[in-house]
Amino acid sequence: MTNERYLIVSYFVSALGSLGLGVAAYRVLRAPFAAIADAVAGSRSAILKRALRVSTIMAAVLGFLSVSYTQHGCVSYENVVKDRGYLVQLNREQLQSAGNWIVYAVFAWCVIVLICLAVWRSHQEQSPRE
Amino acid sequence: MSPHSITFLASFIVALVVAGLVDRLLRPSLRGLLEEITGLPAATDFYLRAFAIVVIFVALAAILGTGHGDIKEGAHFMEYVWSVAGSMQDVFQNLLIVLLVYVTLITVLMAALRREH
Repeated sequence: MTNERYLIVSYFVSALGSLGLGVAAYRVLRAPFAAIADAVAGSRSAILKRALRVSTIMAAVLGFLSVSYTQHGCVSYENVVKDRGYLVQLNREQLQSAGNWIVYAVFAWCVIVLICLAVWRSHQEQSPRE
Repeated sequence: MSPHSITFLASFIVALVVAGLVDRLLRPSLRGLLEEITGLPAATDFYLRAFAIVVIFVALAAILGTGHGDIKEGAHFMEYVWSVAGSMQDVFQNLLIVLLVYVTLITVLMAALRREH
């Protein structure tokens, strides 16, 4: 396989891999998050559930896209294609970056769930008084 | 199989084992704490799953980000060990940062939910 063909194939495989990481993270968190959202927001929980899906997948895509083959225009296409090792390293960086961005997104959602739980708890404590 | 691939595979497996061990060691007490403070089983489940995702993704990201360019054909056994140990340094460093962030998060969760308990 020539380096140019490897670049084309690996780029799209890496994109799919990053997307797969995002989808996997979403699927793991989906069920418990839906239960929390339903408990806190009731019938208006759909927006929260969709936001979780969109943000997790976007984080993965963002991580993938944040790696530049040409170092933002500093390296020519010919130099990029010349070195197979450089191409492999960038594929790994794409997956690494996708993983890191998913972790940031998961932490952000942990904070959102924390806020949701605080709201839910205050509602629970107010309900008996009413 | 090239020395680079051997080192990468060994580091990958060790990182997975380390991430699994961290998750396994902390999960029972974390579950007990979360069940006590959240009062919502789904929330306990969410935070436990988030913890597992974070630990595994961070360990794998650290391995993917580590280059093993220092190892050459015909390298000695200890050179392989040093190369794997070098990548483990990144794994442990990232795991430590993630654990500190997670502990901070759980502390805030405890403070927010236990105040009026």
